[in-house]
Amino acid sequence: MKRILEMSHISKAFGGVKALTDVHLEVNEGEVHALLGENGAGKSTLMNILTGVLQADSGKITFLGKDYYTPTITQMEEAGIAFVHQELNVINDLTVVDNIFLTRELTGKFGLIDEDKEVQKTRELFESLGVKIDPTAMVRTLKTSEKQLLEICKALYTDAKLIILDEPTTSLSNEEIDHLFGILSKLREQGKSFIFISHKMPEIFTIADRYTVFRNGTFISSGDIKDTTPKDVTSDMVGTTFVDADMYEQRELGEEILKLHKLSGRGFSKISLSFRKGEIVAFTGLAGSGASELMQTMFGVLPIEGGSIEYKGKKLEGSIAHFMKNKIAMLPSNRKENSVIKDLSILENFYIAEHVLSFKKQIIKKSVEDERYEQQKKTLRIKAASSSAEITSLSGGNQQKVFLAKWLNTGAEVLLFNNPTRGVDVGAKAEIYRLILEFAKAGKTVIFNTLEIPEVQKIADRCVVFYGGKVAAILDHKDVSEKTVMGYSTGINTQR
Amino acid sequence: MKKTNNLTKQIGSFWAHYSYIVVMLVIMIVYAITISANGSSFRWSHITAILSSQNTCIIGTMAIGMALVVLTGQIDLSIGSSLVFTTSACIVVFNMTNSILAMIAAALIVGGILGLINGALVGLAKMPPFIATMGTMLIYRSLSLSVVRSMDTAISGSTSSQFAMLRSNSKYDFLRFSFGTGKILSIPYITLVFLLMVLLFIFVTKKTKYGKSIYAVGSNEKAAHLSGINTTFIKVSVYVVTGLLVGVASVLQACKLGNITPASSGKSYEMYAIAAIVLGGISMAGGKGNLLGVIFGALSYTTVNFIIVSIPSLTVDIQDTFQGLVLIIVILIQTLSPVLKEKAQIAKRRRLAESGK
Repeated sequence: MKRILEMSHISKAFGGVKALTDVHLEVNEGEVHALLGENGAGKSTLMNILTGVLQADSGKITFLGKDYYTPTITQMEEAGIAFVHQELNVINDLTVVDNIFLTRELTGKFGLIDEDKEVQKTRELFESLGVKIDPTAMVRTLKTSEKQLLEICKALYTDAKLIILDEPTTSLSNEEIDHLFGILSKLREQGKSFIFISHKMPEIFTIADRYTVFRNGTFISSGDIKDTTPKDVTSDMVGTTFVDADMYEQRELGEEILKLHKLSGRGFSKISLSFRKGEIVAFTGLAGSGASELMQTMFGVLPIEGGSIEYKGKKLEGSIAHFMKNKIAMLPSNRKENSVIKDLSILENFYIAEHVLSFKKQIIKKSVEDERYEQQKKTLRIKAASSSAEITSLSGGNQQKVFLAKWLNTGAEVLLFNNPTRGVDVGAKAEIYRLILEFAKAGKTVIFNTLEIPEVQKIADRCVVFYGGKVAAILDHKDVSEKTVMGYSTGINTQR
Repeated sequence: MKKTNNLTKQIGSFWAHYSYIVVMLVIMIVYAITISANGSSFRWSHITAILSSQNTCIIGTMAIGMALVVLTGQIDLSIGSSLVFTTSACIVVFNMTNSILAMIAAALIVGGILGLINGALVGLAKMPPFIATMGTMLIYRSLSLSVVRSMDTAISGSTSSQFAMLRSNSKYDFLRFSFGTGKILSIPYITLVFLLMVLLFIFVTKKTKYGKSIYAVGSNEKAAHLSGINTTFIKVSVYVVTGLLVGVASVLQACKLGNITPASSGKSYEMYAIAAIVLGGISMAGGKGNLLGVIFGALSYTTVNFIIVSIPSLTVDIQDTFQGLVLIIVILIQTLSPVLKEKAQIAKRRRLAESGK
């Protein structure tokens, strides 16, 4: 086996936060190499370093016998590394052929684009792989799975030797996954190598040859897939400290406070659920299950299309501010895009939501605001030097805590958290769980949406599993396991 | 070593926050040099001339509104035409009523309505601000132009191409001479009005919840919306506030000059206002900038004009070339310095990484 890639002693820190500490990765020719680790383990950072998007603080990359220290994106592309991102980088308003040949168009007479030749070449490539996409179709009209294949074909056309696939199967059906794996096997025989990033064990054990596990920015283990088991790999991924389900404790729950009655909206229909004071409820479901959309509808972000939301017997409908006035708060998913207001300071990011409620008193009293912030800072243990510092100077976990503080400061009784631990490091994650338990003990109702089942096991009293816009199952704390939840969220099991 | 490091850091942070003061000082020094090169000496009267120039006061007042609009990530191209329309209206009202109060009320109401029209097109009809206000820019000016042609000169106060305040009105002398060209401690009243407006809006942007919402919307509209802020209200309201400030500027225009010519007055004022706020350090991308910068930006811009006029070999025709150059150079320094800084940092890291292999 020929080694084509060796990354050694790679370290990288953002501000004061270490993302990678002295990690290694080795990939052979003609193999599918699974790169494993939880969110925040450092996989994406390493891949960004490999493709030249980020520069490592120290360490060396050897690719096809050549050494690189801080390569640029173009250098790595030319060297033969392609990155198929999770959020696909195809251009919707161009045709399939145009996407494949973008910036390296085939030209004929007078330097004009020879479209016939491009279509011909694309057909040949698609046929050799068994891809059934019309080369002249607009990319907009393709299914997500087809776009994924298009990106892979595009990478092949650049003659990439190593293709990075970042969670390529998240939005694919089982059939589509089989098809993709068929193509990967074919390419592997031709000597192409893949770095395959995924959380799904069955997939990894179907397709991968070797694996590497990261945890919390450090290298944990590496080896042949045939010599290991899903259980061993999982425990490498989560470590021993992280599997403590002991965090959960049984509590007395209060009266019913929030009720959904046959609620319909974008991506879900006729959902009836009720929530009690002091309860922690987890929503889970794959992309397109309607869980995230339901949560947004419960905060007035998306419109109600049928049924009702009742808080303490009062029907809620209208603007976000209206929901906030009725003691509901939502921490949105995707912190960077939906929460961080980068030109405002930590304090300003903190008070901005409460000010919507107290808009009639226009003048800001900084001493009062500072006092409120300091109080939250203490209970949430936010690590920040000064409240007037930029919000972006904080680590992801501390930013998220500032936003938790922002919503607590509105005096909300029902806290909706959409993927609250995404993109924060393991330590901060554990703290966020602890805080959620504390909020519940203080009588708040917490509903959180997550894709990570261990989170659910750790803190939730109940887990609502969504599938295809409907409730597939409501599980009690003791019944939650990775296997049952996966069964319901993929539609294999049904409860009702 | 540490001390000097601290000092460079402080200078760096001062530059980052108050580069517009440095810009103005440099431009002032250049002006002083050109004056002495002409054989006279730089005096206080030169500064008051800059302070009282209509470029400073009238464009400066409107630039406050432009700054608010730009802070929300939008733009208003109609302010020059709005000034013409609003000034026309307030002169007509003055001529008809001989009332100062009615004149001011007319200016504010008409200015506010024109702003509301812009705001409604952008905020409610969701049109791109550039296009919507370009449309109203054409409309507002042409409406005043067509009215002035057909209006009775007893009301318009002048020929068929101009609106002018009637000298026969009893309040004329007070408005034009006591207020319009009057001074206190050698500072013109109209300059004081401009400075007062800047102070008011520094307060609004720094100390009120409304002001903070403007920054939030401009910095991350989605996050602002998800924080419960009524982003449509904020985006519409800044146009209305701009309209009101155009109203204030109209009163200044009427009192300082006594007339307005729809065909030519206020042309390109939107561009001058944008130049002033950009020189004042307000980011065109929205969300970033200090209203204090508007004073310095407006003064810088006026001074550039004065420099060009004071050089005898330069004709008026070449004026815009120099204005354009100054603008490009200042912005180049502002946008290039962080890029260069980052490049230097990457190069340094690369050297370290390669020497440490």
